Amino acid sequence: MIRRKLSLAAAVVTAAALTLTACSGGEAPAADSSKISIMAPFLEAQPPSADGAVQKKLEELTGKDVNITWAPNASYEDKMNITLASSEIPQVMVVQGKSPGFVKNAEAGAFWDLTDKLDQYPNLKTTFPEVQNNASVNGKVYGVFRARGPMRAAVMFRQDWLDKLGLKAPETTEDLYKVAKAFTEQDPDGNGQNDTWGITIPKWGALGSSSPYDIIEEWYGAGNRWTEKDGKLVPSFETEEFLEANRFVKKMVDEKLINPDFATFDGTKWNEPFFNGKGGIIVDVDSRVSVLINLFKQANPNDFQNKVGFVGNLKGPDGELHAHPTDGYSGFLAVPKTSVRTEAGLKNVLEFLNTMNGKDAATLLNNGIEGVNFTVEDGKAATIKPETPEGKAVSTDIKSYAQLGTNVTGNNFYPVKQASEYEQKVFDKRVEVMAQDLKSAVYNPAAAFVSPTYVAKGAQLDNIVADARIKYLAGQIDEQGLKDAIKLWKTSGGDKVQEEINKLWQDSK
Amino acid sequence: MTTSTVDVKTPEQAPPPVPAPGRRRRFAVHFAHYKWLYLLLLPGVIYFAVFRYAPMYGVSIAFKDYVPFLGVNASPWVGFQHFEDFFSNPDFGRLLGNTLILAFLNLGIAFPLTIVMALLLNEVRLSILKRTVQTLVYIPHFLSWTIVASLSFLLFALDFGPLFLFINSVLGTNIDFLSDPAWFRPLIVLQEIWKNTGWGTIIFLAALATVDQDQYEAAIIDGAGRFRRVWHITLPGIRSTIIVMLILAIGQMLNTGFEQIYLMTNALNRSVADVFDTYVYFVGITQGAYSYSTAVGLFKSLVGIVLIFGTNALAKRFNQSGLF
Repeated sequence: MIRRKLSLAAAVVTAAALTLTACSGGEAPAADSSKISIMAPFLEAQPPSADGAVQKKLEELTGKDVNITWAPNASYEDKMNITLASSEIPQVMVVQGKSPGFVKNAEAGAFWDLTDKLDQYPNLKTTFPEVQNNASVNGKVYGVFRARGPMRAAVMFRQDWLDKLGLKAPETTEDLYKVAKAFTEQDPDGNGQNDTWGITIPKWGALGSSSPYDIIEEWYGAGNRWTEKDGKLVPSFETEEFLEANRFVKKMVDEKLINPDFATFDGTKWNEPFFNGKGGIIVDVDSRVSVLINLFKQANPNDFQNKVGFVGNLKGPDGELHAHPTDGYSGFLAVPKTSVRTEAGLKNVLEFLNTMNGKDAATLLNNGIEGVNFTVEDGKAATIKPETPEGKAVSTDIKSYAQLGTNVTGNNFYPVKQASEYEQKVFDKRVEVMAQDLKSAVYNPAAAFVSPTYVAKGAQLDNIVADARIKYLAGQIDEQGLKDAIKLWKTSGGDKVQEEINKLWQDSK
Repeated sequence: MTTSTVDVKTPEQAPPPVPAPGRRRRFAVHFAHYKWLYLLLLPGVIYFAVFRYAPMYGVSIAFKDYVPFLGVNASPWVGFQHFEDFFSNPDFGRLLGNTLILAFLNLGIAFPLTIVMALLLNEVRLSILKRTVQTLVYIPHFLSWTIVASLSFLLFALDFGPLFLFINSVLGTNIDFLSDPAWFRPLIVLQEIWKNTGWGTIIFLAALATVDQDQYEAAIIDGAGRFRRVWHITLPGIRSTIIVMLILAIGQMLNTGFEQIYLMTNALNRSVADVFDTYVYFVGITQGAYSYSTAVGLFKSLVGIVLIFGTNALAKRFNQSGLF
């Protein structure tokens, strides 16, 4: 009896399963050259409205019916994979990076190979070919990369503390130690209590995440993820400089020059100790300088200047400047093959992207609409004050639309005019310092290479070293323990990653 | 599982009046006789088929190399490859150990505490006090793990958390509870107790209300004190409830709670904090290894099924009524 009912149930289940699978095999919508569908992440609380002024202007400029699906940034990768498995695939997809999920899909043929195609479009032919190569999968370009500042590492410190103690801004890592020590021990806030520390570091330890650890290691000359040694690429944590840099950081931890809860401190609260006068130094991207200045400005609009000082990259113990660059891009716009079936369709989409990176569209995506939310003053975009409701709506919307900007030929839009003279001065100095540091940038020689073993288990492997680094700094393991972890990285599959990376490197020469 | 579902939904009735020869024929007659009852069964069958069993075809990706672009059907089969990779992975032993230790700590400490708390509440005579306490201990259940974790971070924060300062000054130590691997498990169990013990008492309090009051009177006349009464009357009275709750708890045992552990993990305590649930998230969602993590999840479910059947069999052997 039970068996019969079971077989009946099984029949029903099979039937239901068949129906479900049948549903997912639908046809992609027929190509219509006047329509473009895009999937992009939004980083604001709300996605922009589909009938806003920016959307209308965008459709007017491109002459297309543009349909954008906005997905929250935090779960974008999941949403992208789900979308690829569905029948509703957009013609242009923002891909946020060479994640294992993306690489697998790309290698299975999910996206058009654009390597030989982009050069035919004046606004897509990049002026940064090395960045385009970094964004490629072993030389295959699967999308139009979204350009980002190539140099961003900076040291920011409490200028008022520095002035009070009569110190000068650090230039070398040794200076950094001295300033951190003075900030810890010489009562820089003058309250008579030993309640300050030097550098604040958040719970942020993954390898290659441009964490303070990564940046300091690079300054020491350990390289950027991979480095050339004896004609071979080795991971930067296998260098002597890596160990030296971490001995340096450990010395600062031991002398309490770094916040004691660096292994658990929440990164979203990074500005708080700086602002509240607890920890006087942050090693991070230079845009944080403006964020910090804004915090002081909000608290006291009359006295916010000379609170935040900054310098760019620091010279290492060898007296050389090994500046820490970014990869130069943040993901790319890829074209799925399922939704764009023919070469003609691809041409249509690429022409659209070409228009999107032209001056008019780039200005719209990044600055907004002239006369509504900004005006041009001395070649800069100044926000119209007081803000009108329409202007505010445009300003809010472009924070999301900027995600569609690629800027592979440099910024075709107006730089933003800062709110005050002081802020403009700091901003200009930031640009200048970063441009200077860029000349000494040490790039990741393996940025373009995707090793199959790394795709399969690279993140777990890297965790071995990243966790050991934190444990070493916290004193849970000694230097031998850190070396053992690096050995474990090799024996657990790192050897194979290294072999594959080297082979790709040799082949690309 | 199908067996139990179908059985529960079939009412116990006398056999069909005219047993005809031949199984098929017998079934037809049986079916005709009870057709309305079978119709009643239908919504349940459809519900389970559509919402419980049909999605399980997705489990097949544990045996495939799933690529979202290719879809479930077109992705190539790889057999037990992912399981082999998992079992031969150096992480496997650590994950299993961490998961089991946390599971048994929760079962061994948090579960009995629920019963103790129910017994204590049951002994409170003043009904307004009893109801107030009950409401108060239910509240933490409705707070999300994010809030519980944030509270813990505040209370145990290095150098200024009130509990950090208090405990360390009493013990004369300098323990960083949030990053010390030795304190990870106690902290997790403590959170579990704080959040869910009160809520867990509900069922036991209901069971306690059904214990025969006459027995207490008789015991009082016989001169039994409070503890004797609890031991000889109350506990045996709710024994079957305890067994059922225990079997259910064991079935859920390996679900160590993703959010709670994920939120409390950091680089310094990861060696004891990694459990199946966080591993599946880390490998599957953040690294896109969907097939591999499905295999890990499937393995976890199999262990869960073995545990639930094992406990049920044990309960029956010790002459208790099991769950099924």
